[in-house]
Amino acid sequence: MVTQFFGLKLRLLANLFRRSPWQVVGLVVGLLYGLGVAITILVALITLRFVGDVSLIRDSLVVAGSLVVLGFLLIPIVVGIDDTMDPRKFAFLGIPNRSLSLGLAGSALIGVPALTLSIMLLGTVITWSRGVVETLLALVSAVLVLVTCILLSRVSASLAAFLLSTRRSREFTGLIGVVVLVMLSPVVVVLLGTDWGRHGRALLGTVASILGWTPLGAALAAPGDASTGAWGTAILKLVIAAASVYLLWLIWEVVVARMLVSPGREAAAKQYSGLGWFDRMPHNTVGAIAARTFTYWARDSRYWVSLIMIPIVPILAILPLSIAGVPLHYLALVPVPLMCVFLGWTMHNDVAYDSTAIWLHVASGTRGLADRVGRLIPAAVMGIPIIGIGSAVSISVYGDWTVLPSMLGVSTCILLAGLGFSSYTSTRFPYPVTKPGDSPFAQPQASDTASALVQSLTFVGSIVVALPVFFLAYLGMTDDPIWHLHALGAGIGIGLLAVVVGIWFGARRFDRSGPEMLASALRA
Amino acid sequence: MPLDSESDDESVADRSTESKAARDVHPNVVDQPEGQPATIKPAASTPTVRKPAVRKPAARKPVAGSVGTAAVAKAAASKTSGAKTAAARTTVPKIVAPQTTEETAAVTPPETAVAPATLAKPTARKPPARKPAVRKPGVRKPTVAAPTTVKPSSAFASSLANSATDETTRPYATRDALEGGLQAAARTAKIASQVPADAQTEVEQQTEAEPQTPPRTPSTAVPKVVQTTPAKAAPKAVPTTAATASVVPVSAAEPAPIVIEARGLIKRFGHKVAVSDLSLTVRAGSFYGIVGPNGAGKTTTLSMITGLLRPAAGTVTVHGIDVWKRPNEAKRVIGVLPDRLRLFDRLTGAQLLYYAGTLRGLDNDTVRARSADLAAAFGLDDALNRLVADYSAGMTKKIALACAMIHSPRVLVLDEPFESVDPVSAVNVTEILQKYVAAGGTVVLSSHGMDLIQRVCDHVAIIVQGRVLAAGTVDEVRGQNTLEDRFIELAGGRKVAEGMEWLHNFSD
Repeated sequence: MVTQFFGLKLRLLANLFRRSPWQVVGLVVGLLYGLGVAITILVALITLRFVGDVSLIRDSLVVAGSLVVLGFLLIPIVVGIDDTMDPRKFAFLGIPNRSLSLGLAGSALIGVPALTLSIMLLGTVITWSRGVVETLLALVSAVLVLVTCILLSRVSASLAAFLLSTRRSREFTGLIGVVVLVMLSPVVVVLLGTDWGRHGRALLGTVASILGWTPLGAALAAPGDASTGAWGTAILKLVIAAASVYLLWLIWEVVVARMLVSPGREAAAKQYSGLGWFDRMPHNTVGAIAARTFTYWARDSRYWVSLIMIPIVPILAILPLSIAGVPLHYLALVPVPLMCVFLGWTMHNDVAYDSTAIWLHVASGTRGLADRVGRLIPAAVMGIPIIGIGSAVSISVYGDWTVLPSMLGVSTCILLAGLGFSSYTSTRFPYPVTKPGDSPFAQPQASDTASALVQSLTFVGSIVVALPVFFLAYLGMTDDPIWHLHALGAGIGIGLLAVVVGIWFGARRFDRSGPEMLASALRA
Repeated sequence: MPLDSESDDESVADRSTESKAARDVHPNVVDQPEGQPATIKPAASTPTVRKPAVRKPAARKPVAGSVGTAAVAKAAASKTSGAKTAAARTTVPKIVAPQTTEETAAVTPPETAVAPATLAKPTARKPPARKPAVRKPGVRKPTVAAPTTVKPSSAFASSLANSATDETTRPYATRDALEGGLQAAARTAKIASQVPADAQTEVEQQTEAEPQTPPRTPSTAVPKVVQTTPAKAAPKAVPTTAATASVVPVSAAEPAPIVIEARGLIKRFGHKVAVSDLSLTVRAGSFYGIVGPNGAGKTTTLSMITGLLRPAAGTVTVHGIDVWKRPNEAKRVIGVLPDRLRLFDRLTGAQLLYYAGTLRGLDNDTVRARSADLAAAFGLDDALNRLVADYSAGMTKKIALACAMIHSPRVLVLDEPFESVDPVSAVNVTEILQKYVAAGGTVVLSSHGMDLIQRVCDHVAIIVQGRVLAAGTVDEVRGQNTLEDRFIELAGGRKVAEGMEWLHNFSD
């Protein structure tokens, strides 16, 4: 039974290579990268066998290893991976629960994560091979760690598949992901702010000693403890690790048994009333399209992710710069233009987000102009407060109000140019995105180099168009403040020109090749 | 699908009226009644045998007795819808014709007479005006040509209609074929939903029954009736030929204008040829079914007709407008229900309808009014404020169908409109479509339901491997067989499963 599952998993892996050449290339690069990292770590662990402070090595390994174990637990939930070995797929085969559980868990050993983990664990065995008994102990704990990780990921993937089976909860993982990201930034700050030289060692020791007694780190701590002579705690931790593996196995069996008889769950549908945005917008084609875009921004998690990124990106950009010692005075000028870049860029693949629903526009003969303008209205509306309020706040921090016109000009130009580019590229170069209803982190299979090119071109394009405005603003700051007013005028002028040209080309393209856009959505 | 017979019957006569009449009469009487002239009679004898098994005998009998009265009544009742339908479909004429002489007069006023008998929704429909133009010419001629012959057939047809209608349709009878509007349909829907159990069972029974009787009288056209009769009666009898002959000229006489004309369509996907040199002609007022095995190119063809998929070669004109040269004008007259494409499902049902209507250029008030009507007609009232993403498959299909109709297009192109739609809704949808056709609209739909197509459509095309293997009226295509048999024959025949004996030796 187990061998058949192995065979199945191998076949599934092999089929990964039966896609388009570019995907295979990407896959191979990814694999090589993972393997490279694993081998580097392996080498590092082997060297640790011969050098370094034993307790320091132990503490670091415990902390790092615990993070890895935690990753196996969390990543399937947050990312919501498509589980090819979902127990429910075997529900109709009538396999006894125990063999099925064993087979599924065993087959998880075949796979990139398990392979890289095994390589690294092999390293830890060598690190702790400081005697026969120690080596044996290290070997046992390595196996325990491997089994723990596999079982954890199986359980969490299954739970995720079960809990996230409804559309709403699946989208919610998108929010979780973003929240995690936001929560990580203060952690990063704290970590960066810590005086590692003085308190680092102590902090590491404390964290490691705590983790060492939890199922996360027990197996990793045992051989280290043994090597430092603490045989008692080593055995105790090994018992903890073994017990948690057994517990996990029981949980896994229950989960499998449970999933075989639970096809999924139904979420209660939410009731809305009225037409929402459609009531608030003009009752014509442009208004309806704009209202639809607004509605989607509010209801579709794929948009949430890109929209939430807009305020987060400046933070992420400023943090390292401020740590690197760039004065806040200048940093204050960064966020608003940066947010405008992202806001304009958000729309660069807008048609692809509709997926095949775009047929409605094609079948109804919607005018390209109406479509283009309607889609841009929400972004433009959103840009007004960002530019207006954002610039005011920025400049008040910066402290020199003469710069305000430049700030407004540059931001407006970037946003409008971005929207102009987006207007054209979204009809001309739609590339596959996450499908409606999928987790926002479930990346589409077919992302090739073309899409990366489109992404970077639209991103850089708006900045390039705004370069003259940047130059005028620079003159204003270094030469004569009067240049700031020119920057404002130039920014609005260039921006408007860019957006009009973009919309015009986009509309023409839309009118001519609606069926091609639909075809590309179908291929995605 | 549920009401097979009913749809067919409509054209012939109004169910409600007839059914009553039919019921009163007794089964055995059936064939002999009118006298189908000498020719036909022979056939009549046979029919008796068959009928009992399949359909409710009672219904048919009426023919004899009812023929005169019933037929007229039916004609009247069926009134507009029936008449129009008939007219529209070339075939129909025959039926009408016979009665025409006598009935024509009756037809106009008929409501009165009918109303009492029928349940009553006799609200008259305007349509009458229309019928005359289209149909009459065709119809009458036959009358003249072979009056005697025809009559019987018509009577027979009506009887059949009755039979089919009466028991089966009963629940639905309430909803009158008469009333045109969606509201009527909506009402029906409600009624139907109230009586669902019985109705459905009945329907199902009937459905099952039908296949057995190969020569089913398609509701549609007279010709069918004629042919059918002979078939039933006895294997092709002389009369048949005669009848057919008389009929044919009629239908050929005045073909309706061509609405959809596809010429030499070609589409390849990679190395696979999905559609190769496919031509299709659909005339105004037809209810055109497209059938074909999986992967035959039905969806591809319909997509090319509706401007969703650019053909590699070939032309498509809809109402004389080249779809691929003047897409925006062409798209205005087409309503589309694509298969397997997403909807903007983060919108609520109401929002989606509003969106679809607005994109089609309707103004605010019109969209709202029509949305309400459509929601009522499709039984979606309760679902309008939920996200389309949370709809079941059938509801999604219905809301998409509503979106296709909201701009009252001249042509509806529907890809698998009944897939995963429940029987009650399917009946409603069918009825809405039939009324739409009766009012001069044209419907092209694809389906895997042979029964449905045979019952509902007047024309059919069988597409296999990207080519049209057969096209024409349903009767022409199916000949003496059921459409299903004909289809299977064309699509490569039944595969005899050999070497599957192990399947019959159960593992435990």
